[in-house]
Amino acid sequence: MQIAVQGIGVVGCFGAGVAKMRQALLTGAVSPAAFDLPGCGTPLAISAFRADTSSLADFVPLKALRRIDNFSRLGLLGAYLALQDAGVPAAEKQERLGVVIASGYGATGSTFAFLDSFINDGDICASPTYFANSVHNSAAAYISIMLGATGPSSTVSQFHHSVPSALQTACLWLAEGRVDRVLFGAIEELSELIGYAWHRQRGRADIPEMTPLLTGAESAIPGEGAAFLLLTRREESQGGYCLLDRVITGRHLKPGFLPSPLDLLVLGADGRIEKGGDYAKLAKKATVACFTSLYGSMPGSPAFDIAIAALMLKEGKTFDSPGSAVCDFPATVATGGESLKGCCVSCLSLSDDDGFGLINLSKG
Amino acid sequence: MTSAPVAITGMGCICAAGINLNDTMAALFSGCRAPAPPVSFTCSHLINYPVFEVQGFTPPPDLLRTCSLGLHAAREALADAGLDREFLDSIRVGVSVGTTVGSAMSNETFCRELRFGQQPDMTMLERIQRSNPAAVIAREFGFNGPCQTIVNACSSGTDAVGLAASWIRSGICDVALAGGADELGRITYIGFIALQITDDSPCKPFDLNRKGLNLGEAGAMMVLESEQVRAMRNKRARSFLLGYGSACDAYHLTAPKPDGAGLKSAIAEALACSNTDPGAVAFVNAHGTGTPDNDRVETQVLAELLPGVPFLSTKGYTGHTLGAAGAIEAVFTAACLERGEIPASIGFSTADPALRGNPLTRNTTFSGTIALSESLAFGGNNSVVILGKGGVT
Repeated sequence: MQIAVQGIGVVGCFGAGVAKMRQALLTGAVSPAAFDLPGCGTPLAISAFRADTSSLADFVPLKALRRIDNFSRLGLLGAYLALQDAGVPAAEKQERLGVVIASGYGATGSTFAFLDSFINDGDICASPTYFANSVHNSAAAYISIMLGATGPSSTVSQFHHSVPSALQTACLWLAEGRVDRVLFGAIEELSELIGYAWHRQRGRADIPEMTPLLTGAESAIPGEGAAFLLLTRREESQGGYCLLDRVITGRHLKPGFLPSPLDLLVLGADGRIEKGGDYAKLAKKATVACFTSLYGSMPGSPAFDIAIAALMLKEGKTFDSPGSAVCDFPATVATGGESLKGCCVSCLSLSDDDGFGLINLSKG
Repeated sequence: MTSAPVAITGMGCICAAGINLNDTMAALFSGCRAPAPPVSFTCSHLINYPVFEVQGFTPPPDLLRTCSLGLHAAREALADAGLDREFLDSIRVGVSVGTTVGSAMSNETFCRELRFGQQPDMTMLERIQRSNPAAVIAREFGFNGPCQTIVNACSSGTDAVGLAASWIRSGICDVALAGGADELGRITYIGFIALQITDDSPCKPFDLNRKGLNLGEAGAMMVLESEQVRAMRNKRARSFLLGYGSACDAYHLTAPKPDGAGLKSAIAEALACSNTDPGAVAFVNAHGTGTPDNDRVETQVLAELLPGVPFLSTKGYTGHTLGAAGAIEAVFTAACLERGEIPASIGFSTADPALRGNPLTRNTTFSGTIALSESLAFGGNNSVVILGKGGVT
């Protein structure tokens, strides 16, 4: 069954909303900033793409957000923006709306805060609020509560495999007729815990920009944000962006995996040195694009790739791949502004354990 | 939309009541349980809240205990299904696992050292990064199909089983290993105490004097198989997954909606998609945590939708195993259908006049062929599976 992408809600370093993302795609004007990690005991800062959720106040009274942490705020803003983009009033009854969330790391800020509450003050002082917010499906819960979404809700957490895996569930729910619409979204929060882990595992604080299409060089800069899609069945779609034809997940992707015809392969390469070579091999001879330099390296980044692919299909043209001036992939990098000759775009993401996700989109 | 039944050809579990399904079922029907203060960790609370820890199980140090519990159950389920490595390599096998701590980036020692500027050793977090439960199981057995770790709090295991059935029906894979796994640890223990929903004595689901839950740990797995593969192997089904439903309360982060609206929707969906008449349900394996709110809502919903249907909670034998709970309870439900007998709901002795029903108080035989297992979760998730008695068709 074909699924239609009706609305997009994105929050990232580029700002909030499709217009801000589009502007960043056209100008490439997104730069990482220093992210201080004051809670790590010693002075430390890393380069990062951070996201701002202050515009959530346009949708929800601040008072209602008091107990809601940064992770769930990112998700709420993405969800509201996707509904707004699709022209669906948030106040509308959402009995047949499903919520599917993907997150590689979950609410690590609240997890760290919960641990802090009893590390600092003793076991008896553990914070119930932080504990409740640290549960992986807290963002899905807040989205359902705020929107009155009483359909099924599910959260998937599988590091870099979370997005394609969760998207497969969203499509199944629609195909089975369990729901009429699904708010699908990826959320990643750059907490001090993740920042510190990044610093220790990657160890580079001085990378000026990501060069994801250059193999053999570490250029990943961590990001945070949320990317949401409002999905419906094709026959119930109105306008919207594109069709989601197929989501394929598994391990050990074999050559010849690409659908034919294919106009563009959007790569999830994100500057992590251990994955660059794998993407280069699989992209051989294809026309490719890569946009991770706009939002950074994070497990949820394939959802941003899908959002951009959907935008390209709607507009019928490509965008430049930021950071691709330096490229050694045996592939052709699409030039921004070119017409998409046909109507098919695939998004490829590779995860640990040789996992992959391939998402095929078409203009319809 | 009506769903086709999906065969369950293998099952496995490990919990405080036993290290395999046979031992566990024997413990359930013997009416024995042994909650005790935690052994694997300490806590400075003045009260030692009892827990259900798996004893005599020492997992390898390179993975989270959660993964080892899941792997242990997976090995038993695959052996029970009679699926060998060579055959599995020739088909597409999916893995769907529910958990709550299996993918959480939380390690107390790491965070403590980080907070105090001690540059913690990264091996602690790297161990978590290697330990995503579904990925670990897929890697261990070389599976190449879909792979998903579901983190829907206490309904995760039920959702994992429901999802795997969808994969089989839609042809995404030929065989799926589905279930849940969760270890018991200090962080969860302290968190539930902070929420004030933990009983300081052995839990008493549905009892007048219930005060909350006891935490436990477990791994439980089912092998779900397509009819094509089953026909090829001429394999009898131990049970059938007939229906699955889930719905969100959209009400509160940690409390169920008082009118049970989400649970009602989930039951209604599961009944409808399996074309099951409520009168055909032989028993309900309830979520039955022993918290005042949960048990009140559950009995109210069961009285409305499945009046007179016997119900029980098995959490009195296993503790609340969180992300594994839905899976292990689905396994128990299938095993009880096979046996034609349900264990007593241990911990219950005094009826609560505020509840609209009481659980089974003794081991009870039955003649029906359909049963329901339900899970309620933080986030307002409610999930239900309907299982049928096994057979050739």
